[in-house]
Amino acid sequence: MKTTAVFSAFLSLLSLASAASSKKSSSTSTTLPVTFRPPQVFRNANLVHIISVEKNYAKENINVLVENIDKAAQDEYFVPFTADQMSRLGGVEVKDRKDASAGPFVAEAVEFDQESDIQYLRIRLPKPLAPGAQQTLGISYYLLKAYKPLPASIKQEDQQYLSFSFSAYCPSAYTTNKQKTEVKFPTGNIPDYTKLPGSGEVKEFPQKQGSKLTYGPFDEKPAGAVQPVSVRFEFNKPVTHVSRLERDIEVSHWGGNVAFEERYTLHHRGANLSLLFNRVKWQQSQYYQPTTFALKELKFPLRVGSVDPYYTDVIGNVSTSRFRSNKREALLEIKPRYPVFGGWKYPFTIGWNSDAKNFLRRTAAGGFVLNVPFLEGPRQAEGVEYEQVQVRVILPEGAENVKYHTSIPTSSITEAGVEIHKTFLDTIGRTALVIKARNLVDDFRDRELVVTYDYPLVAMLRKPLIVFASVFAVLVGAWVVGNVELKFDSRKK
Amino acid sequence: MSADPLQGLASVGKGQSTRSLLRVIILALIAGAAISSRLFSVIRFESIIHEFDPWFNFRATKYLVANGFYNFWDWFDDRTWHPLGRVTGGTLYPGLMVTSGVIYHALRALTIPVDIRNICVLLAPGFSGLTAWAAYLLTNEMTPSSSAGLLAALFMGIAPGYISRSVAGSYDNEAIAIFLLVFTFYLWIKALKQGSMLWGALCALFYGYMVASWGGYAFITCLLPLHAFVLICMGRYGTRLYVAYTTWYALGTLASMQIPFVGFLPVKTSEHMPALGIFGFLQLLAFLDYVRSAIPSRQFQTFLWLFAGGTFGLGLLGLVIATSAGFIAPWSGRFYSLWDTGYAKIHIPIIASVSEHQPTAWPAFFFDLNMLIWLFPVGVYLCFQQLADEHVFIVVYALFGSYFAGVMVRLMLTLTPVVCVAAAMAVSALLDTYLSAKSPEPQEAQAAESSEGKKATKSGLRSTSKPVVGVYGLWGKSMMVSALAVYLLVFVLHCTWVTSNAYSSPSVVLASRMPDGSQHIIDDYREAYQWLRQNTHEDAKIMSWWDYGYQIGGMADRPTLVDNNTWNNTHIATVGKAMSSREEVSYPIMRQHEVDYVLVVFGGLLGYSGDDINKFLWMVRIAEGIWPDEVSERAFFTPRGEYRVDGEATETMKNSLMYKMSYYNYNNLFPPGQAVDRMRGARLPEVGPTLNTLEEAFTSENWIIRIYKVKDLDNLGRDHASAAAFDRGHKKKKVTKKRGPRVLRVD
Repeated sequence: MKTTAVFSAFLSLLSLASAASSKKSSSTSTTLPVTFRPPQVFRNANLVHIISVEKNYAKENINVLVENIDKAAQDEYFVPFTADQMSRLGGVEVKDRKDASAGPFVAEAVEFDQESDIQYLRIRLPKPLAPGAQQTLGISYYLLKAYKPLPASIKQEDQQYLSFSFSAYCPSAYTTNKQKTEVKFPTGNIPDYTKLPGSGEVKEFPQKQGSKLTYGPFDEKPAGAVQPVSVRFEFNKPVTHVSRLERDIEVSHWGGNVAFEERYTLHHRGANLSLLFNRVKWQQSQYYQPTTFALKELKFPLRVGSVDPYYTDVIGNVSTSRFRSNKREALLEIKPRYPVFGGWKYPFTIGWNSDAKNFLRRTAAGGFVLNVPFLEGPRQAEGVEYEQVQVRVILPEGAENVKYHTSIPTSSITEAGVEIHKTFLDTIGRTALVIKARNLVDDFRDRELVVTYDYPLVAMLRKPLIVFASVFAVLVGAWVVGNVELKFDSRKK
Repeated sequence: MSADPLQGLASVGKGQSTRSLLRVIILALIAGAAISSRLFSVIRFESIIHEFDPWFNFRATKYLVANGFYNFWDWFDDRTWHPLGRVTGGTLYPGLMVTSGVIYHALRALTIPVDIRNICVLLAPGFSGLTAWAAYLLTNEMTPSSSAGLLAALFMGIAPGYISRSVAGSYDNEAIAIFLLVFTFYLWIKALKQGSMLWGALCALFYGYMVASWGGYAFITCLLPLHAFVLICMGRYGTRLYVAYTTWYALGTLASMQIPFVGFLPVKTSEHMPALGIFGFLQLLAFLDYVRSAIPSRQFQTFLWLFAGGTFGLGLLGLVIATSAGFIAPWSGRFYSLWDTGYAKIHIPIIASVSEHQPTAWPAFFFDLNMLIWLFPVGVYLCFQQLADEHVFIVVYALFGSYFAGVMVRLMLTLTPVVCVAAAMAVSALLDTYLSAKSPEPQEAQAAESSEGKKATKSGLRSTSKPVVGVYGLWGKSMMVSALAVYLLVFVLHCTWVTSNAYSSPSVVLASRMPDGSQHIIDDYREAYQWLRQNTHEDAKIMSWWDYGYQIGGMADRPTLVDNNTWNNTHIATVGKAMSSREEVSYPIMRQHEVDYVLVVFGGLLGYSGDDINKFLWMVRIAEGIWPDEVSERAFFTPRGEYRVDGEATETMKNSLMYKMSYYNYNNLFPPGQAVDRMRGARLPEVGPTLNTLEEAFTSENWIIRIYKVKDLDNLGRDHASAAAFDRGHKKKKVTKKRGPRVLRVD
């Protein structure tokens, strides 16, 4: 069942998948003239902007009812971002709210002027929108490094507060008739937020309901209108930021094994310590104040069937880890060597093995299909964000015709290509598919990466033959050398 | 009874090629046993570099692999001995690192890219296999019985005396040096026996390798001339000796001078003088030999006396003058301590402060060598029986090795090879006598009948007469053989037990047991080092006692003030002074040395004995050696002469920086007044020490490592004591007196 699903997905998307055998396959930006302004062909009839700051990245959802006010059919809708936001933006996905089968729309950054503070994201509607027609777009994206701790340094036992700035009017390239912005918080403790004069029956924005603030509804705003507001909220959890994740997936056909290794460079972007670390207080707080903004533990739910996990850092094995493995789960719980406070850093490496059966299938055509998760980071209540991700799928030596497809938003993938990776007993080196992505979050944990490749029998037999031949050559060489007579006169003997 | 299968078994080993095949297989198995018995720590813990010195070697190897040989040769390391730095490339023995580097690149070329750390960890076990083989070769030169060689290989492979320095992860110079030592001796014997220049040159080559690898090369430099000298005194001077010795000395000395760290030492220091002297002496003897063949013997007598006396007198005079004028350096302190075990303690406390430089306690011999130690004299006795040139070598080596092993614990290592060789000769002599399954045939017995009667009266061991006799009684044979077998088995058990329990702890990681019996790993060192590495500035200078210098350099990758390469006693004494003085004295010292963090090891919570309070007296002594007016060891003892840390401790002790750093904030961990130092079993005063110039930056989980940050100068120009007092609110307390009931402030 799974095979067919995988296979059909792979077939249907083969056309979309970039042929990865060539170097560089994706370019998500298009160049436009410097003077570019989005043509005023749309109107936002109604817009709801939902910002969630519950996790340590901001997740934003813009649900907008767009109407074509031009005379011709239009298929390009632009969303503005500041240059700073653009660099931290990731995981953009656009859907039709009414029609789920319309599939994810192509969204890409538009390159027109490096200096400009306003950059655009262009959404291509699959079917041009007829004049006067309406369509509901659901645009979702993530902003990384979204918060600043305020106060910037606190005591070990204090609560951590973060501040987040945004615009109460959703930035849009078009006139918006009606809109509101909702902000969801992890707790109801929101000591500071910008207050705006209300309209209609509401005296003052925002309205607070539990752990939610609502700005709006606002009446008609022109294109490009902004109303900066900032909120400060309690977030007594670590602000985990992975500045770089290198994920290696090594497939071995002889060993029937898929080996995973992930190297994390982890930072805590929360509040720094105003007084240096105090072990006594830390040990005491373990008993009567267990919640803290320090990072104490990471939990990696691995695929069932994962075995031999390891957890090391640059100076060797870290013994503070636990692995629960049974038929239902394979949970790797690791603790950093020290509690990670704001401004601290902790790079580490984890790895594990799995039976190739779980990921690898042979197709009817004789090729192979590998289906692995694109990302398998920790699952934390507070979330994890990844700035740079490099996934490297190391295929056996001699694998060819490599193609891939992934359900990660294409705008997040910056680069993909096939490289050669040389390691144990390699002569020509192993084929490695390298995919680089940026600005991902742990919501994308379960997105899959499907790689298809051919692996001919000759390539499979290559290694044993070469090892055999070289050992044989050494033995023959030794025999020949051993038979060389170095004495001046051997007959005497 | 079981003669048939035994004979069948014996006939298997009859053919020449079968024998050599068996020998190869047995040697391979011995090497396998030697390697695998050293892997305890890898299996129990992980593939990790052990202890202190290996961390430097590891770091240097990484530098070599990353930057290439020439950069390594010219390496000036500015991250140690701040602010002096160290000309590392010129002050180390590069043999070990170069060996690992070569293995690393060779494996890479064979498309086996093994991590450099794994190569370093497994280098010592790998070389132990080679050492076993070298012991086999050396023993084979001593005795015609090939079983002795195999036994020697086995003993060498698993003797704890050698394992102590060569377990996996113990990446130290000794890891390869013992192999080179034994192999050089083998080549020397070979050269001497054959009078061959080829073997002599090979011997010199390996001697050069040895010099490049370990400071203990001086042992060879002294032992070979001594052997030659003894041979000459026994009247065994001959061309073979002349050729072997001069080839070795000339080439070997040249080779050794290529190492920058050794340089001109071979012609300048006293340790190397015996070798030079014997070299000259041999030239004289050769000359005399020539003269004797040329002139009549009566004139030769007078010539000899005049010539010999004159040369000796001149040579001695020259030596004395050269030494006193400073051309030849006097014996170094470490060498003096070899003759007088109390010397170091008085004159160079830094040498005495290293535990491995202490004299050996006698149980250590049994611990490290077990039954070999009582078989050793038997083997030496057997050498006396034959006393060919090579046996003289064993006798001389045995004498010297035993003496040095008695003086310094770590020199047990140089004794072990000769013990293994001698003991193997003894065991194999016994086995050869008792294990021959066949009783002497009647014909043989008849042939031997004439000597049969004398056998009882004569000494059975006299080898010169070599009577063709055997032991008849199977009972006696089996008794003897089974007793030996039991001894051998017990020996193996003992070696395994010692290796497993005494020598396989990485000491970076401590193991303990949870109540349910599962292993719990105490990893405080690496916790703190990793914290330093990740969360401090890259150039933050760390001050700690020198023991941890290499580890901080290797694991935390931070510059240190002093480390285990104790070349600068004054610098170490400076750190000792900073640790043992009052804060007001220490702070300027730390500022002058740009110290950012201070690291101390504290075992009070866990009962860990290797902590800094226990080492503190050495710091005091070393500092006192340089500043006798400012630091006084006596002041750290109570009037009754006790070294205490509790409420009874002396004021000097309580005010010393080390004491304060160790116990700062410690009492807050306990209910008031119940703070206990579990290591020293002392109840600490209720009020803990206060620190004004330092602030606690990090303390590891079990409090083993405590790191303090040195405060910057006060912003308001106050001294630290008053600034800290102000922060603690002392002033306020004096002013505010109770004025009625306290009111909660309402905003």
